[in-house]
Amino acid sequence: MEELILQLKQEIIKVLNLEDVKPETIADDAPLFGDGLGLDSIDALELIVLMEKTYGIKLEDPARGREIFKSIRVMAEYIHANRRK
Amino acid sequence: MIAWAGDNIISSLGFTTEACYRSVEAGRSGVRLHSPFMGLAEPLMASLIDREQLNDSFAAAYSSSDGYTALEKAAILSVGRAAAQAQVDLSDPGVLLVFSSTKGNVHLLDENESQPHREHIYLWHTARLIAERFKNPNEPVAISNACISGGCAQIVAMRELESGLYHHVVVVGVEMLSKFIVSGFQSLKALSPEPCRPFDAARAGLNLGEAAATIVYQRVDREEKSGDVALLRGAVRNDANHISGPSRTGEGSLLALQALLREVARSDVAFINAHGTATAYNDDMEATAITRAGLHATAVNSLKGNFGHTLGAAGVLESIISAHALKRGALLPTCGFKAGGGELRLNVLDKAGRTEKPYCIKMLSGFGGCNAALLFKYVKEERPCRNP
Amino acid sequence: MPQSIKRYSYITDRLALVDGKTLPVAAAEATEEGNFLTLLYRSLGIDYPKFFKMDSLSKLGFLASELILKDESPRFTPREDVAVVCLNRSSSLSTDVQHQASIQHEDSCYPSPSVFVYTLPNIVAGEIAIRNKLLGETSFYVCREWSAQLLLRMASLSFCDACTRAVLAAWVERFDGVSEAFMMLVERDGLSGIPFSAEHVEMLYQNTKTQNT
Repeated sequence: MEELILQLKQEIIKVLNLEDVKPETIADDAPLFGDGLGLDSIDALELIVLMEKTYGIKLEDPARGREIFKSIRVMAEYIHANRRK
Repeated sequence: MIAWAGDNIISSLGFTTEACYRSVEAGRSGVRLHSPFMGLAEPLMASLIDREQLNDSFAAAYSSSDGYTALEKAAILSVGRAAAQAQVDLSDPGVLLVFSSTKGNVHLLDENESQPHREHIYLWHTARLIAERFKNPNEPVAISNACISGGCAQIVAMRELESGLYHHVVVVGVEMLSKFIVSGFQSLKALSPEPCRPFDAARAGLNLGEAAATIVYQRVDREEKSGDVALLRGAVRNDANHISGPSRTGEGSLLALQALLREVARSDVAFINAHGTATAYNDDMEATAITRAGLHATAVNSLKGNFGHTLGAAGVLESIISAHALKRGALLPTCGFKAGGGELRLNVLDKAGRTEKPYCIKMLSGFGGCNAALLFKYVKEERPCRNP
Repeated sequence: MPQSIKRYSYITDRLALVDGKTLPVAAAEATEEGNFLTLLYRSLGIDYPKFFKMDSLSKLGFLASELILKDESPRFTPREDVAVVCLNRSSSLSTDVQHQASIQHEDSCYPSPSVFVYTLPNIVAGEIAIRNKLLGETSFYVCREWSAQLLLRMASLSFCDACTRAVLAAWVERFDGVSEAFMMLVERDGLSGIPFSAEHVEMLYQNTKTQNT
């Protein structure tokens, strides 16, 4: 799980162009949206693409993203349980 | 005064304004489920121009097709028909062409497309082809301002006419669908798998549409007289909020509406033809702006249920239908709307009605935070001046 | 009172100028093409992480506007009287090509929403409006080639809105190896500044461009 969490942080930094953010500065349980990383609605859609492209998980309902993208840890746990890639 | 001189619509609902208008009046929709095409993996709920009819109509009107793309054919056909109706000679140097499209021939970027003329991917090139077809000597203006382009093009027309350089301006808005556009909107999760339902509580996204639409505007140096339809005012304002998410406060739309209404009583507005894409956020944003502008009691409709969202053509197409409704004293129904919901309740038209009021408003919103509003007037009869 | 040009800026992928003067920025450090815009961003001491999410067209326009507006005061207070008008040749084709590449092959069709939103050229005007809280008119026009006359005409159209007191007018082109932004802050009632005429716009553009070569 720790390995997946680190990998996920690196991928998120890359696909969301979080230029000045380092993996170690993202807390595993901190909220991804809201004040934390300053992510917006397009970032949420981009995370949906990441889930499908990298882990083979299709999220048809973007509203589901709100629960899954709560924190890095919640996201990693969801990926661990549902991944197809 | 900037007066309406002629128009044409080419869409899934027909190749004349009259045919399209009758369909809207009757509550018909051109949106239907199309089996996968253009390299798409899944069927698409959309409003498409019939290619066979387009080719036949073009061939009947013009002997040579000169390697035009479908988009160019639709635009040329539409401009030609509108100019004929307005009895305007497009080769006259006093006539300017204003071209509006978000993506033009972007489908040509696809490796599978044969590309004899790569220049066709440039919007200015398409604008030129249309102007050249009619031997218009002026460099056309090409505007690409997301989904408000068709509104902006009319504002440009109004200003160019007021400057006195031209006596007629032909505004053409055109958009054709491609895998490029469809896949993008899919990635934004903005498309509804069902026919769209503007302003409805159960709305689930937009349908895309194709259209070419043309308005010929004319500068007339006289007082308005009965029968005139005039473009009185237009305004563009930005939300300064987010590049794709509509403002929660409707800031840009509100400011655009306020700019129109400085000298017009709200009670004289017959209806507002909203952008009404049927996405959750767009319709909420418009409801907020309309309410904040003090227009919550005014009748509101959306034509997206009839034509889908025709992007760069929408502003032109929907202004044409709205101007004709105003002229006929008609309130047109919102196809797909059954019942409103949410905190803000607008007076959304669910069925056809009548109006005697002289003004209507066209609203538009687009990515990049831009919003536009246009104010039209129909002069029904000679009225005594209220404020001597 | 006539309209006048208060400030102007010019940026390519190798250098940046304000009012005709080359910025000491990074010119020597800019070894890699494309990373110049990031170096320029850093040299301006701006803290605006959204910059890194922008496409290259928006980065160009954004930085051109920062160069012009960085010393304006007050900044970031919402205002309706400033319009943003941009022109170019290639619309958003540099980003269109990226979106097309992501959907070209059926077995790996993953269109990116954050790329797709930039497949509209007017987003650059929107980015400038968002950064500076400009609620005025934003417009984007496409034309065959650079034209001082056309830039003047399109900016003048925005002054037709009685609300508009200033226009950020720009040529922002990015495609086929070209990377160029030329932006002016034009004021309706400028007390000083360069007259806003086609001759002056052409002169400023050509003079600045010459320094680039």
